[in-house]
Amino acid sequence: MNIKINSRDPVYIQVIQYFKEQIATGVLEPGQEISSRRELANKLKINPNTAQRAYKEMEEQGLIFTEGNLPSRITKNEVIIKQVREELILEAVNTFIASVQSINVPLEEAIGLIKKNYEKNPGGQEGNQ
Amino acid sequence: MIEVKDITKKFGRKKVLDGVSFTANKGEITCLIGINGVGKTTILNAIMNLTPTNSGEILIDGEKIHRETYEKITFIPDAITMLPQMRITDAMQFMKDFYHSWNQNRADELISFFKLDPNDRISSLSKGNTAKVNMLLGLALDVDYLLMDEPFSGIDIFSREQIADVFTSHLVEGRGVIITTHEISDIEHLIDKAVLLNDGVVLREFNAEEVRENEGKSIIDVMREVYQA
Repeated sequence: MNIKINSRDPVYIQVIQYFKEQIATGVLEPGQEISSRRELANKLKINPNTAQRAYKEMEEQGLIFTEGNLPSRITKNEVIIKQVREELILEAVNTFIASVQSINVPLEEAIGLIKKNYEKNPGGQEGNQ
Repeated sequence: MIEVKDITKKFGRKKVLDGVSFTANKGEITCLIGINGVGKTTILNAIMNLTPTNSGEILIDGEKIHRETYEKITFIPDAITMLPQMRITDAMQFMKDFYHSWNQNRADELISFFKLDPNDRISSLSKGNTAKVNMLLGLALDVDYLLMDEPFSGIDIFSREQIADVFTSHLVEGRGVIITTHEISDIEHLIDKAVLLNDGVVLREFNAEEVRENEGKSIIDVMREVYQA
């Protein structure tokens, strides 16, 4: 699990964000079983109460589901998965727009630069935390 | 819940605690933060009734501490209190003789968790392993509350990580922990509540996740504000 927890954002939100990215990119597949709360807390070295809160929140948002005493699973609801993906894309685009606007880059120039640089940067994982 | 209510403590003329109040919930990790000499250890001693206070009150689950309370709360001091010639297994036997709440299964589990050899003598252990044995002797008690005094100080990074792992395991789950430290970075994401102390008073008591959420600040940001204001 490569997630770097920063100390200023609420930890539970960072955990949810991480799961959303994994769901959107298909690393976590629909219906896939996920770690227990304690396993997650242990892997990420975070407070178990925080892991619990992240799971509760994800359950409420329909990102994961739990049947009885079984381990929680990733949602099979394709509408939700699609929404997650769109939400992440929109977030990234808005961040991009805000940063190019702050240095007065016209739309055309920005689009040109995107086209030019998009292929050059195949990793895509950089700065992804 | 442990409730510390307005306690004061003087050593001679020196006021070490000057009206300290805070609470620590069961199932949560509460961290007392402050530089050396602000009274962190004195507070733990006071909770355990190992030192008399001059005024104020301390309640554990609504009761003042009494004989049976020692079966549901334990104190892990910053240095091991067992005799150096004892083997780890002797130290465990010693605890078993004293406490009904001693849980040998959990002790055995901790031995393998920390990769210790029960036949080693305390005097032969490295500093890091001594700290782990010290933790083990407290953690193996079936108590509701654990007080830990500076469990991370003076030990290497891998031992610190191993000890930090205890906090996310079932070994601590559901119990109330009060931990003191002057070095927060090892456990920044592990604690529920921080209590900032200075000169025998509580400067601020806050929930770490709430401060991140409502103010966008890390624990260290808050410390900077409070201590350098």
